Amino acid sequence: MSAAPLLEAVPLLQVEGLSCRFGGLLALNNVSLAVRQGEIFGLIGPNGAGKTTLFNVISALTPPSSGRVLWRGALIPASRPDQLSRLGLARTFQNLRLFDSLSVRDNVLVGLHRFAASPLAAGLLGSAGERRRQRQLEQRALELLALVALEDEADLPAASLPYGERRRLELARALATEPQLLLLDEPAAGMNPAEKNDLCGLIRTIRDRFDLTVMIIEHHVPLMMRLCDRLAVLNFGERIALGSPAAVRQDPRVIEAYLGSAR
Amino acid sequence: MDAGLLEQMLIGALLALSVYLPLRCGQLSLATPGFFAIGGTVAALLSTRIPIFAGTGATSPLPALLLEMTLAGLLAGLLALAIGGTVLRLRGIYLAIATIALVEILRVITLNLSFTGGALGIFGIPQPFTTTAGYAGFTLVLLALVCWLCARLEQLRLGRAMAAIRDDELAAACVGIDTAQVKLQAFVLSALLAGLTGALAAHFLNSWNAKVGSFDASITTLAFVVFGGSRTWLGPVIGGLVLSALPELLRPVGDLRLIVFGLVILLGPVLFPQGLITPQGLQGLGHRLLGYGQQLRGYGHKLLVRVNGPRRP
Repeated sequence: MSAAPLLEAVPLLQVEGLSCRFGGLLALNNVSLAVRQGEIFGLIGPNGAGKTTLFNVISALTPPSSGRVLWRGALIPASRPDQLSRLGLARTFQNLRLFDSLSVRDNVLVGLHRFAASPLAAGLLGSAGERRRQRQLEQRALELLALVALEDEADLPAASLPYGERRRLELARALATEPQLLLLDEPAAGMNPAEKNDLCGLIRTIRDRFDLTVMIIEHHVPLMMRLCDRLAVLNFGERIALGSPAAVRQDPRVIEAYLGSAR
Repeated sequence: MDAGLLEQMLIGALLALSVYLPLRCGQLSLATPGFFAIGGTVAALLSTRIPIFAGTGATSPLPALLLEMTLAGLLAGLLALAIGGTVLRLRGIYLAIATIALVEILRVITLNLSFTGGALGIFGIPQPFTTTAGYAGFTLVLLALVCWLCARLEQLRLGRAMAAIRDDELAAACVGIDTAQVKLQAFVLSALLAGLTGALAAHFLNSWNAKVGSFDASITTLAFVVFGGSRTWLGPVIGGLVLSALPELLRPVGDLRLIVFGLVILLGPVLFPQGLITPQGLQGLGHRLLGYGQQLRGYGHKLLVRVNGPRRP
C-alpha cells in the first residue's frame, strides 16, 4: 500500500460515541462520524434532531455528557472556543451572531484578532512598523470582504446590512481566522433560490481556495445533495444514516424520518 | 470659571474614563472609587510620612507627585490583576454587586486602620502646585493624554476585541479572542487610571479619608458614563465634565439643586438612551458642520459677486 492513502486515512475530525443530555432530553445519542480532510460534509435531519447541538459540542460551547471528539486522530488539547479557533476551527451561527455596533470592516478585523498581536505600548504610540502592520490587516480584511462581495459596504455598521449580506459577512469573519475546518450552521436559511445557488458556488470556491474542510447543516435537501461529498442524517439525536448523497437518498430509515413510515 | 471647579470636572472626566474601559467590553464594574481611594491613600501616606516625597514646608516637588501617581496606579492595577480573574467571572448585575462589595471592603479597612488616620483620615497633604490653576493645567494635560490613549486604543486590536465582547461574547470567543484575558486587561487599565487619578486628587483636596471611596461615588461615576454614553471615549469625558459641574452650577437654586441634578440624571437616559455622545451622532454632527461650511462658502461667494459684479469669462 502506498503512503498517500494511509495519510488520508486519518480524518480531520472524528466524533466517537457522543451523547449530550439536557435534563430529561437526550439531544445526542451515541453519535459517531468522521470528517475527511477537504470534503464538504453535510448534516441533515428534521428539526430538533440535534444538528446544532453536535456543532456546539464540536466547537466547545456545550460539554458532552459522554463520548469524545478527535482532531487529526488525537484528543483536542483545548477546552475553550478561543483555543479551538487557534487550532483551526471556525463556525457560523444559525441565528447570526455579528458584532452589530462595529463596522463591516471591523467585524472582519476582529476575526483577524489572532494575526494582529503586537505589544500594547507599540500599538498605542503607533510606531511605523505598527502602522504598516495595521495597513496589511486592513488590506486582508478588504480582500475577504471582496470575496463575499461586501467590499463596498466596509464602512457601514454591521447592523445596517440586509439579511443575506449579514450571512455573507459572518462567513467572511469566520474565514478571517484562517480555519482548517469550517462549520456552517444553516448558511442558506432565509435565502431565495438564486441566493442559495450563489451560496453553493461560494462554499465550493472557498473550500478550494483556502484548502478547507467544510461541515454544513442545512434544511434544503436538494441543495445538500448537490453540494456535499458525504452526508450524515440525524433523527432524535441518533445518526440514522451516513454516506454519499445517492446512498443516503435511498436509505429507508431516512425516507421514514422525513416522510413517515409506509405502513 | 473657578479653577477649583474646573479641577473637579477634570477629575470627574478621568474617573468616568476609568468606568468606561470595562464597560466598553460590557463589564459593569463599579470598583473605580475603590481604586481611586487606594491611589489617594498611597499618595497621602507617601507625601506626609516620607521626607523626600513631602518636600519642604507646604509644597512638595512635582517629580514626587509623578512618582506617587505611578506607584498609586501600579498598586491599584496589581490589586485589580489579583482579584480580576475571580471577580470577572461574574456577569452583569452580579459583577456590579461584587465590585460594590470591593469598594465597601476597602472603605471599611481604611476606616479601621490606624495608619490611614481612621475616620478622620490624613490631613495636610503637601501641595505640588501653589495655585488651583496649576492643578487644573496639570490635570488638563493628563486628561488630554488619557483621551488620546483611549482614542488610539479604540483603533487597536485590544479596543476592537473589547467592543466585540460587548456585542457578543460567545461569538468573540469563537473567533479566537481570549475573552477572560481581554476583560482582565480592561479591568486593570481601569484600576490603573483610577489609582493615579486618586493620587492627584489627594493633593488637590489636601486631606483624604475613607468617605472618598463610597457606594455614592460608585453610582455617581457610573452616572457620568450612562449620561455621556459608553460607545466612544468622548461620551464619558463629556458626562464626567457636565455632571461634576452641575451640582456647583446649580447652587443658586438652593435646596432644589439635588432634585434638579436627579432629574438631569433621570432624563439623560430617557432622552438619550445611548448617552449624549454616540459615534453615529458625531458622524451626523461632522456632516452637518461640513454642510454649514459649504453654505458659508456659498454666502461668501454671493457676497463677492455682489461687491465685484459677476465675473466675466
